[in-house]
Amino acid sequence: MYVLLLFTLVITALPFFWMVTTSLKEKTAVMRMPPQWIPNPVRWQNYIEAWNSAPFGRYFFNSFFIAIATTVGDVLTSIPAGYALAKMAFFGRGLILALLLGTLMIPGQMLLVPTFILVKNIGWYNTYQVLIIPWTAGVFGMFLLRQFFKTVPDELWDSARIDGCSRLRYMFQIAVPLVRPGIATVALLKFVGSWNAFLWVIVMTDKVELRTVPVGLRFLQMEMGDYHHLLMAAATMAIVPILVLFALAQKQFIQGIARTGLK
Amino acid sequence: MRLRIPVSWKSKRFWGETLEAYIYLLPTLAVLGLFTFYPFVNAFRYSAYDIGTRTVPGEPVLVVTEGVDDWMALLRRGRISEELSEFLHKKFSINPEKLWVRLRQADRWVLREEEGGREFVVLRESETLTVRPAVTRWDLQPVGWKNFEKVLKDRDFHKALLNTTKYVVISVPVTLFLALLLATLLNQGVRSRALFRTANFLPYITPWVAVAMVFRWIYNRDIGLLNYLLSSFANLFGTQASLFDWLNDARLALPALIIMQVWRFTGYQALILLAGMQGIDREYYEAARVDGANAFQAWRKITVPLLTPQIFFLLIISLIGSFKIFEEVMILFMGSGPQNSALTIVYYIFRKAFESGHYGPASAASVILFAIIFILSLFQLTVVQRRVHYER
Repeated sequence: MYVLLLFTLVITALPFFWMVTTSLKEKTAVMRMPPQWIPNPVRWQNYIEAWNSAPFGRYFFNSFFIAIATTVGDVLTSIPAGYALAKMAFFGRGLILALLLGTLMIPGQMLLVPTFILVKNIGWYNTYQVLIIPWTAGVFGMFLLRQFFKTVPDELWDSARIDGCSRLRYMFQIAVPLVRPGIATVALLKFVGSWNAFLWVIVMTDKVELRTVPVGLRFLQMEMGDYHHLLMAAATMAIVPILVLFALAQKQFIQGIARTGLK
Repeated sequence: MRLRIPVSWKSKRFWGETLEAYIYLLPTLAVLGLFTFYPFVNAFRYSAYDIGTRTVPGEPVLVVTEGVDDWMALLRRGRISEELSEFLHKKFSINPEKLWVRLRQADRWVLREEEGGREFVVLRESETLTVRPAVTRWDLQPVGWKNFEKVLKDRDFHKALLNTTKYVVISVPVTLFLALLLATLLNQGVRSRALFRTANFLPYITPWVAVAMVFRWIYNRDIGLLNYLLSSFANLFGTQASLFDWLNDARLALPALIIMQVWRFTGYQALILLAGMQGIDREYYEAARVDGANAFQAWRKITVPLLTPQIFFLLIISLIGSFKIFEEVMILFMGSGPQNSALTIVYYIFRKAFESGHYGPASAASVILFAIIFILSLFQLTVVQRRVHYER
């Protein structure tokens, strides 16, 4: 049994290992058959060369900037919306809920053409807005937070209200700290999703200055298909931020993904 | 029939709360309204139109009265005067080296920025020249069902539909089955569970672009890792394996894609199933043991049936997700695969719209994609929800 499990571990790890090994080889060593498992000599310089072979500084800045902005935006819009749907009784609540749930059935790719035409018309083509604003609200995060807000006891709000606390203040100062795990989950998933965004970026922009890391990698791949060692160095750089995030917040990640899986 | 008005409608507080709730919902509704609902309606509308673009001059940003002849002489030779490029650089931050004259007519020139794609029109009007940013106008011609006819007759679309279906029908059950096996293994009271958990999550959270690039390299015919491992394996048995051309052989393109996706998703699905398995009451197994059931029987008769909620959940989300596959194909094959062997529905939409400019047929194909996803979602909501075996 352990043998089998070890085998799956090897299969999981092998592509990662191969990526890092290749990224540290000399160009001639890459071509060698049978392959070199441990690069000799180890060539760290590949990373510098890969970094300099395209404006990666700009790509990383864009990716971080867009991912942080959309994450903050999504959390800030999802908190009040999720709260309202969880805790407030209002006219049209059922209709709004159904409408928002319905959007989960719309495949995003279906909206590419009409959104592209819209974006051209409002002059947002090739701007940061188009990469950020449409992603600052999401049904997914909102429903997740709604589930969390539902667990907050109503008595808290009743006593806060008697003390003269406004709902907005109550929401952010009392309810939000209670649902912090939910917010962490929404933020993490949003950040990773934003970091991986690709199709949206290549449809809505075509400027080098607006490329994100995944889009930059694609162009690098088209420009230097044969330089496997440099491509693998670039790929390694692209996954480092997400792996670091995963290492720092592993618990929230795993709980979050398991929970969103089974709400 | 008498309409009953809810009591709450008469209370002032209810309406106050309604107003407040909509204020909280406003940001979400505004963004979704503009970028989801509105395009959603348009996706249907555009599928009934022939959509073309026209470049028309906008409002003038510069009027030239002096040196008109010099400017025109340059433009006729396809060159741009220094004053003009400086002006465009200052006002629109256009890199002068990336600007070229796309269209030369007697009294009209179109300048195009190479990467940003912005265009400017220089118009001659009697004794003056005006520079105007070009505006893209969309020409919509109603064509009824023609776009659907075109798409449904298009052999590429057939191919895309067939490839996507094959991909879904193979990769979804294979991944799920392997995940079930893996979860069962992990459920046997394995030590260092944290290690396995992390390992199983890694392929899932690793940015997919990097994964696709690494697999492209692994699939290399002559110096790729996979062919090397396969041939070493064959050598063990004293046979020679022929080299598989994973990326350029039309028969191997889908398998290559499926292997990569199975690698990415098996661990994640196994962890979801494992969480479900750990929620199963031990007493069931005790009872089965008392009744003389062996481990396999217990697995088949207890574990699997009690896991149906998780299994169906994974089945539906991976079915829906798999129908939308595209981006991985683009990176793995740097195109749609040999002879379109990995062309998928979304790839077809992308290509029609953004490579050929056929926005109408692309919208029709989008509507077809929506229909497929919609049916699957309905299936989830109705059939599955009712038939799945839920514990408690």
